[in-house]
Amino acid sequence: MTFDRRFRRKAANTLFVGLCALATLLALSALGLIMWSLLKQGFGGINLNIFTRDTPAPGSIGGLRNAIVGSAMMCGVAMVIALIVGILAGTWLAEYGGDSAYGHVVRFLNDVLLSAPSILVGLFVYELVVRPFHGFSGLAGGVALALIAAPVVTRTTEDILRLQPNALREAGVALGAARWVTIRKIVWRGAGGGLLTGGLLAFARISGETAPLLFTALNNQFFALDLTKPTASLPAVIFQYALSAYDDWRGLAWAGALLIALTVLSINIIGRVIIARGNTRP
Amino acid sequence: MTKPVSTEFLPHILEPVGESVALRAKGLDFFYGKTQALFGVDLPIVRNQVTALIGPSGCGKSTLLRTFNRMYDLYPGQRATGTIDHEGENLLAVKDIAKLRSRIGMVFQKPTPFPMSIYDNVAFGVRLYESKSRKDMDEVVEKALRRAALWDEVKDKLQASGLSLSGGQQQRLCVARGIAVEPEILLLDEPASALDPISTAKLEQTIGELKSDFTIVIVTHNLGQAARISDNTGFMYLGRMVEFTPTSDMFMKPQAQQTQDYISGRFG
Repeated sequence: MTFDRRFRRKAANTLFVGLCALATLLALSALGLIMWSLLKQGFGGINLNIFTRDTPAPGSIGGLRNAIVGSAMMCGVAMVIALIVGILAGTWLAEYGGDSAYGHVVRFLNDVLLSAPSILVGLFVYELVVRPFHGFSGLAGGVALALIAAPVVTRTTEDILRLQPNALREAGVALGAARWVTIRKIVWRGAGGGLLTGGLLAFARISGETAPLLFTALNNQFFALDLTKPTASLPAVIFQYALSAYDDWRGLAWAGALLIALTVLSINIIGRVIIARGNTRP
Repeated sequence: MTKPVSTEFLPHILEPVGESVALRAKGLDFFYGKTQALFGVDLPIVRNQVTALIGPSGCGKSTLLRTFNRMYDLYPGQRATGTIDHEGENLLAVKDIAKLRSRIGMVFQKPTPFPMSIYDNVAFGVRLYESKSRKDMDEVVEKALRRAALWDEVKDKLQASGLSLSGGQQQRLCVARGIAVEPEILLLDEPASALDPISTAKLEQTIGELKSDFTIVIVTHNLGQAARISDNTGFMYLGRMVEFTPTSDMFMKPQAQQTQDYISGRFG
């Protein structure tokens, strides 16, 4: 009888661990396959032209310069807005009003935004910015991306600040520092690595967003630094070129997809490294 | 058989004679929300002496200490009534709390170095109220670290993170940070409870040297520590100040029954 029970326990354990391993393998192999097909199809297309030439007409030589620069500019605009709004909102939630009724409402709405379909964000910004100003623009694209990034920053900021020991706040205040000074100079500083990571994760999140850009920044065949005009972006170019009938366009789409994937991957790795380093600090 | 500890209170508060009083609590009540934690506490804190607060866990020592710099103000729902007289002013009604806290410093149970260099830790409080030249600030930092008996251990690594120090060193760093702003009163909330015996001895020695410049109030669980370093001792029980006398009297001839029971180890 004891043998029987021990056997059953062992069998159940093996089965469970086995299922876990299988699920992990499934998830990892999906990621592996994506990376593999990206590398296989996209790696050949990566050369200097990608960075120095703009999106071409079918059949001529070209690159992705306008899309890369457009994406970088719009992500830049988005991150500036998202970091300012997100860090301040997260700080308010963690340090000031998070336990009030209004605080609970803000946190709930932020969570809703966090999982809002990005195409809705695009439509919203279309109504909010594109229509009133009579035209698609890179700025509208940046605002749309900011709306997606800000909830991520808000959330991570609140979580990270709540992890900071209360003793640190009391110690700052006990020296005669105002609450706001204590938060700025001590709490933010202690949470620096975490705040940076939140920003990086938000950036990773928006760098591949396509839907909100279709309604806002549209696209642009040419190189342009003017954010008040329609602006090219990597995701939009991938969308357009991958569906096209031309082999060279599809090649460029694969190269662009590989670029985005590598950027997101390296940003995530940098974020993890910063977190890991923060944790091992004595 | 041990008889139950009496819950009748006949406070024995011995008024210090011929001494200057830095702080005086009168009829101080304290509430965490609806729960009352202090009941009509009367206590004089004598200038340039060390006053120890002792008593069993939960008796209100730390709560009392945290009223002296209005630390409870950070938490909605916590409030104090009564008076704490500080230079003719009721400290509980002071508006500029930050200024008050810069004059009444505090060191906590667990070391709380800020996530910055040793130098910046000490300079932090000073920079809040004064802008000094680099040279003057160097002097302030060195002086504070010397008085906290930490200078010799850190003088070659002032730019290292405060978090890289040992627990005992971190606590002395917190003392240095607290005294760098030259407060009149220093509140110590069980400062040695997280330290090993050697670090504790160093800290006690530091406290002994500091009292010529500062008025010190220390909460401690360690009766030996209270006996070693304090001039006056207040014994608290169930939120009341049961007895306040010079330390030697407290340990040689306690007046209240509860004090006797506590210091002879009958409860606590």
